[in-house]
Amino acid sequence: MLCGIDVGGTHTDAVLIGPHGVVACAKLPTNHDDLLASIREALASIVAVAGPTAISRLTLSTTLTTNAIIEGTADPVGVLVSGGPGIDPEAYRMGGHYHVLDGAIDHRGRQTGAIDLAAARPVIDAWAAAGVRAFAAVTKFSTRCPDQELALKALLADRSDCVSLGHEFSGRLGFGRRIATACLNSAVWRVYNRFCDAVEQSVAELGMTAALNVLKADGGTMPLSVSRTLPVQSILSGPAASVMGIIAVCDIAEDSIILDIGGTTTDIAVFAAGAPLIENEGIAIAGRSTLVRALRTRSIGVGGDSAISVSRQAVEVGPRRLGPPMALGGPVPTLVDALNIQNVIAVGDPRASYQGILAVAAANGFEPEEVAEAAILNAVNQIRSEVAAFVREINDRPVYTIFELLEGRQVRPTRVYVMGGPALALSALLQDAFSEEVVVPESFAVANAIGAALARPTFSVELFADTASGRLTIPSLGITRQVADNYSPAAAEGEAATCLRDYLASIGAEVEDAPIETVELSSFPMVEGQCLVGHNIRVACQVRPGVSAAYKQAVSKSC
Amino acid sequence: MLKARQPLGIVFFPAYDWAISPTHPERQERLLYTQDQLREEGVFDIGGITELKPDLATAEDVLRAHFCFPDVASVTTTSHLISAGGAIRAARTVLEKEAKRAFALVRPPGHHAMKVVHGARGFCNINIEAVMIEWLRDHYGPLRVAIVDTDCHHGDGTQDVYWNDPDTLFISLHQDGRTLYPGTGFPLELGGPKALGATVNIPLPPGTSDEGFLFAMREVVMPLIEDFKPDLIINSAGQDNHFSDPITDMAFSAQGYAQLTELLGADIAVLEGGYAIQGALPYVNLGLVLSMAGLDYSHVREPGFDAAAVRQSAQVTEYIEDVCRDILKEVRHPRGPGKGDVVAGWFTRRKTLYYDTDAITEYQTEAVRLCDHCRGVVKYETESTRNPLCLGVEAPVGACPACVEEAYRIYEAGQIKGEYRHLQLIDRVGKITSTYTG
Ligand SMILES: [Zn+2]
Ligand SMILES: [Zn+2]
Ligand SMILES: [Zn+2]
Repeated sequence: MLCGIDVGGTHTDAVLIGPHGVVACAKLPTNHDDLLASIREALASIVAVAGPTAISRLTLSTTLTTNAIIEGTADPVGVLVSGGPGIDPEAYRMGGHYHVLDGAIDHRGRQTGAIDLAAARPVIDAWAAAGVRAFAAVTKFSTRCPDQELALKALLADRSDCVSLGHEFSGRLGFGRRIATACLNSAVWRVYNRFCDAVEQSVAELGMTAALNVLKADGGTMPLSVSRTLPVQSILSGPAASVMGIIAVCDIAEDSIILDIGGTTTDIAVFAAGAPLIENEGIAIAGRSTLVRALRTRSIGVGGDSAISVSRQAVEVGPRRLGPPMALGGPVPTLVDALNIQNVIAVGDPRASYQGILAVAAANGFEPEEVAEAAILNAVNQIRSEVAAFVREINDRPVYTIFELLEGRQVRPTRVYVMGGPALALSALLQDAFSEEVVVPESFAVANAIGAALARPTFSVELFADTASGRLTIPSLGITRQVADNYSPAAAEGEAATCLRDYLASIGAEVEDAPIETVELSSFPMVEGQCLVGHNIRVACQVRPGVSAAYKQAVSKSC
Repeated sequence: MLKARQPLGIVFFPAYDWAISPTHPERQERLLYTQDQLREEGVFDIGGITELKPDLATAEDVLRAHFCFPDVASVTTTSHLISAGGAIRAARTVLEKEAKRAFALVRPPGHHAMKVVHGARGFCNINIEAVMIEWLRDHYGPLRVAIVDTDCHHGDGTQDVYWNDPDTLFISLHQDGRTLYPGTGFPLELGGPKALGATVNIPLPPGTSDEGFLFAMREVVMPLIEDFKPDLIINSAGQDNHFSDPITDMAFSAQGYAQLTELLGADIAVLEGGYAIQGALPYVNLGLVLSMAGLDYSHVREPGFDAAAVRQSAQVTEYIEDVCRDILKEVRHPRGPGKGDVVAGWFTRRKTLYYDTDAITEYQTEAVRLCDHCRGVVKYETESTRNPLCLGVEAPVGACPACVEEAYRIYEAGQIKGEYRHLQLIDRVGKITSTYTG
């Protein structure tokens, strides 16, 4: 049986899913100071029902790395970069241990300036003396030629606990993103590995034998053992859990919108023909864009606990959360309080909701019911207009070929799936606002954990071949090899898929129903003088995020 | 995080599935490395820089700027319409204040396409800047526009389109026409009788480097723009003046281009030529983008760049100083409208044009009515090795009622007379274009 645990901001949810459906579930408040305690408690309650050996796979979704980055509790990192011509690498400075070296690589992976290792040595010495043990080395265009990063790694070998190299995370271009990704990876390396140690110990103590996985922001999983060297891949996986949950419990085949209405935010995701859209460029955290692949989601500050502000001109909800609803003892009226006095829900003490809204209404010459109605309407309208803007943006994305421009498939959602605490309460109002059909799945309350439990492994590779210079690289797998001048796009596509499949097998990922698809395949003739000298071939392959087919039947309800 | 001081919209359309031929200089690879460079630099992650999808220009958009014979479909492909649509998207971004500036990084280019189009000249079929500008004028009313063409080749097409338009200042800096295609663009080409001085040509000698270009910009281009007081400045941003360009002989650098861009402060830049696709374009385009966005470009330089090795000679410097002084004098006090005859109140000139890309020769008579109330109707009688005699008539923006009436009279008379195969009318006052095949 498969177990999923989602450690959320408010609750930690756990489910155990067997061949015939949900066997056990648990929902307990998250202990922010000790996430591990929350996991242990959730696991214990599952094990109490099913026994320790019934669980064959356990997948965790946790905010550990996200919190460490956002709260600034991660380790200091020594960052060595070389930029060559272009934007000054100082623009991408991370932290106090950041040094720019001479060295340059061009777009075809040719070294146009040697990396200055001699200048790096005293810098590393100084950092080591200051107690820095985590490092990142990043050069511009290292995905086209990793040699300079590898040289820096060799230099750091006996001085470090962890060295993250830019090209290891993605074959996509993006120097600043690569710096942020490698640096953040090293920054959370220690805290994450200690966490993994503790999780493994807890699992052993409970007598479990399950394969351990963690959820990534792209909605896929990776083995816990692999995540130890790539901890940054576990950031911001919260929205991914809910999206994967929706996929698990509903049969989504058409273009759809997913709304996860939580306490503080509403997360929006868009599906094209039943598949979630992926943000290929990578997700941003703490104001820094990274190369961490993620589901394409958008978040707005409208949730159940969002504060209501009233003026004579307008009643608005969010974007701030100033505490729980007044019905639960909070300081200011919230969306939940508005729903409470309109009798849409019954939370805590409805009189407290009424008194709170009465106070802000009277101060502006309104009736409390007017304010409550206006607040709910404002929340629904904000969600609706954000959804419209998001879909417009997706349909307006740039394209690079005439074919794409003329044939560009437009996403036209026909359904809105709503989940999260206030989902049911708001569904009728949302139905009034949206022309699409609004659906609230039955098991929306623990869908996150179901999503984590059933998510499949994902991975993506980018292959880059330059037959003129005879070089092929697959940066994220560390593959560089010679390539013949008659190497074809079809061969490249095959090689990328094979390498991806081999990699998944090597890390022990269950690849049963992980379909590999090509998301990019292009080949450009390269000309020097008047002569064709070779081809510039680019392939990107991925395992699309999805849920285990065998178990989907068990949890999928008509919705 | 980086943030643009001037919000910039970039329309990037490399048309990866279109080329004249696989090894032609104007091929897909042209923008491939630029795309790599911009992506790797994270240009689209910079706050205030937005990547935009091109519009698709329509036949109607083309017919506002050109006479196309036999018709638009015969002289364009979809890629030309997207390229022009990309320029329109850039312009729309600025006029609708979505961004302060915009850069259309599109291909194919357009500045050799003239008012009358029978086919492709110098890799250009339709003039993407002209289609854009006339789209703007149609949607936002009359605008005074300055176009500064910094492509290495003379912008003969743009010059021809705006030859009789006093509201468009066209300035072309280019390698001297005695040494490079298309062989035109001399200082005495100053515009038609109603637009004298609104066309300016600055031919520069082979070997001109950063100093020479920036001198011409400071001493000629900027003062003339100041005099003209345009509502919009447009840069036909050709990048084939680069010292490594394979089809030209100039010595401009990425730093020079970025400085020129900063000096000019164009609202809209539209990519034209540039064929040093590995050694120049990625760096020049990056320099342009950073410069337009008001960001630091001081670290942008070509790998292994040695300024001393490409610096212009003292002789070149002296020559440029002389040429610039003479040009400023001629432009400010033009002696007359150059070659042409006045016949019954019309200023008429005859042109023979060669379409090198399509191997077409065209014989053309252009006539502009010397009206006291407006710019005057313009009429083109044209035949080519592809088309028998055709007629194009335009009542320009701001035409007086008499000229509008005259335009229709000529168009209708042309149909009745039956000596023209294809006829096209552009009525910019009534916003009507009409075509007729006899
Ligand atoms: Zn040119
Ligand atoms: Zn020019
Ligand atoms: Zn008139």
